[in-house]
Amino acid sequence: MQKEIKQTWHFNQLPQEVWEYLTKPELIEQWLMKTNFKPVKGYQFQFTFTAKPEAKYHGVVECEVLEIVPFSKLSYSWNGSTQDRSRKYNSIVTWTLVAKDNGTELQLSHDGFEVLEDILNHSNGWNSCLTKMEKLIKEL
Amino acid sequence: MQTQTLDAFQVIADPSRRQMLMMLSKDSMTINALAENFDMSRPAVSKHIKILYNAGFISITVIGRERHCVLKKDGFNELQDFINYFDKFWTKKLQKLQDILNNKLKK
Repeated sequence: MQKEIKQTWHFNQLPQEVWEYLTKPELIEQWLMKTNFKPVKGYQFQFTFTAKPEAKYHGVVECEVLEIVPFSKLSYSWNGSTQDRSRKYNSIVTWTLVAKDNGTELQLSHDGFEVLEDILNHSNGWNSCLTKMEKLIKEL
Repeated sequence: MQTQTLDAFQVIADPSRRQMLMMLSKDSMTINALAENFDMSRPAVSKHIKILYNAGFISITVIGRERHCVLKKDGFNELQDFINYFDKFWTKKLQKLQDILNNKLKK
């Protein structure tokens, strides 16, 4: 069972330029969401979007800058809830920028799903049990 | 006994229930054996078991006089949906960022 999100993207711009799109609110807004982000460790900010009535998650994500290394690493907490506010989740988003081939390799990791982690770890063991069982049944 | 139905997130928000699921992830257990590991009344244990059962995290099989708890997939599926949702979310957003940056190069 997957318990974290990892993606790698390549851009033809240098890290300095890609970095701007991760840290300047007016640029972040163009591709992600409205935000009052500031590149300061410990700064608390929000991402907001107008959620459709049928959307699964609520249109406000509460965040705090956890780590910031100019042009190479940015990490913030990402805490949200479902649309009806009944379920809250905590997680962490981390961006890593690496200069590569005259451009930038941008790595995203979204993990640390607090409530989920233990269970997801253990469900791996559980899944393998199920696979074993499936195999046994087929062999019958 | 009246027990409310909680969704997967509420179910695993409780440390005792998480503990129960972890123990069951190693092996199936009878309710009695499970209860021995917790410093709480038997009705309290039963209530947690009922919640896990209602949310699809476990199934209960009666063998002789004992009730055996086994992990079940349904409850975990909701959690998996959550991860899948965000994986798609980021793909969509980053695709947009890539489009913006590519267009910038053309200008």
